[in-house]
Amino acid sequence: MKTVRSFVAGAWLIALLLGVWELLSRGRILDPLFFPAPSTLLITLVSLTRGGILGRQVMYTVERTSAGFALGLVCGVVSSAVISLFATLRRAAEPLIWVLYAVPRLTLLPMVMLLVGVNDASRILLIALGTALLMMIQIGDAVRTVNRDYVDMAVNYGASRLTVIRKVYLPACLPQIFTAMRISFSRALVLTISVELLSSDNGLGNMIWNAWQTFAVEKLYVSVALAGALGLLVQGFFILLEKRLVPWKDGVA
Amino acid sequence: MVRCQKVSLVYPFRAATVRVLSDVTFDVRCGEFVSIIGPSGCGKTTLLHIVASLLAPTTGEVELNTAGGSPATSMVFQENSVFPWMTVLENAAFGLEMRKVDKAERERRASGMLERFGLAGREHAYPHQLSTGMKQRVAVIRAFLSDAPILLMDEPFAALDRQSRMKAQLELMELFGSERKTVVFVTHDVDEALALSDRILILSAQPGTVIAEFPVPLERPRPLLPEPGDDVFEIRREIYAALGLTSMLAGVACAT
Repeated sequence: MKTVRSFVAGAWLIALLLGVWELLSRGRILDPLFFPAPSTLLITLVSLTRGGILGRQVMYTVERTSAGFALGLVCGVVSSAVISLFATLRRAAEPLIWVLYAVPRLTLLPMVMLLVGVNDASRILLIALGTALLMMIQIGDAVRTVNRDYVDMAVNYGASRLTVIRKVYLPACLPQIFTAMRISFSRALVLTISVELLSSDNGLGNMIWNAWQTFAVEKLYVSVALAGALGLLVQGFFILLEKRLVPWKDGVA
Repeated sequence: MVRCQKVSLVYPFRAATVRVLSDVTFDVRCGEFVSIIGPSGCGKTTLLHIVASLLAPTTGEVELNTAGGSPATSMVFQENSVFPWMTVLENAAFGLEMRKVDKAERERRASGMLERFGLAGREHAYPHQLSTGMKQRVAVIRAFLSDAPILLMDEPFAALDRQSRMKAQLELMELFGSERKTVVFVTHDVDEALALSDRILILSAQPGTVIAEFPVPLERPRPLLPEPGDDVFEIRREIYAALGLTSMLAGVACAT
């Protein structure tokens, strides 16, 4: 709740900027053709929403992002778990993960399309790859930094290997896993929209590109703002979820 | 009972090797409270890890006669002594949980113990909401609840202020009196060792080895601080001498 409150407290600056923008645009100090007033954009937003087109385009983006993120999350967590169980495998896999992580994801799009085809599967696969790599790096790091004392303590009380993973490693890594999930989802959203800009006939990214091509400036603004709002919403969701599921977070060093 | 026979530990460091412990030999009888005092870095923590079988000695052996209890030991650390992701109740009951005691039973026993030691109402708090003193007391309660006959404590109260420390010491004495466990207690604090122990072992600086042993001829319950005129004053002086700290008791003259 503190996060929400501090966000609201900071909202006055946004409101002020929007107000100034409105005045400048209405007073024609800024050319309304390039800088349509926020009130005009609101009307555009309402009329686009009424037509149902906007909702459908947003849903395309949300679906791609979620599908890619979910697939990447599962693959990333499962691979991390397998890798962390075998030291030899981990030493071999880590450099590979870093090399793949260093390649900008979007540049892999043509290659993935070459292999999978120009379809949604390749777009989702690319998003999943990005998520899986980030999750693996973050989880690897979290596992490495688990305090040895906690492991010793559990072992001393007679915990089995599986119990140590369940009772020590998992909860100790959970805060970092949540942070990684939040960052991953934001990145996944960025990647989805970028992919849609380049190669897609629907979704928010495609809408932005179409608006540019047809010089529909108001539509352009509205779709960019929506992309931002979507990202913000997801961030908030993950922060609230983390507060719910990691109530001890303040105490983890 | 704990029997350490010529326990040595050597570990490789860069090109050379470091000898941490050298032929450490001592016995602790069943139901005895033994403190180990020694300078920083003399391998006290390492020794406890070896007794807890978390670490294997290079040579020598540790024998634990525990009448079938398994695991035989419960450790209390100086820091990170409670799991941050478990509530006070879950932490206190962790030893019982590992022994497959069912949830209702272990929570009943843990909350009974927490209540007895003034932690009622804090059962569902997380460690970050507690003071350091409370965390350590929870850790001690967990060790006593665990059913392990031997408790190993690694400077559990070193980070506490004087008042919290005395409170924790009194609780430990009460628990020791009622639960009859064998305790090996590592500390820096000579007065703490005198207040708690039946016997005090002095470990030398690296490599650590037992250089002196002092029985504490005091009845229980006893005062936490030695009172002038006690026999214990003489022992205290001898312990400082064994640690090479006699000059510290004398103090330093101030120029006026």
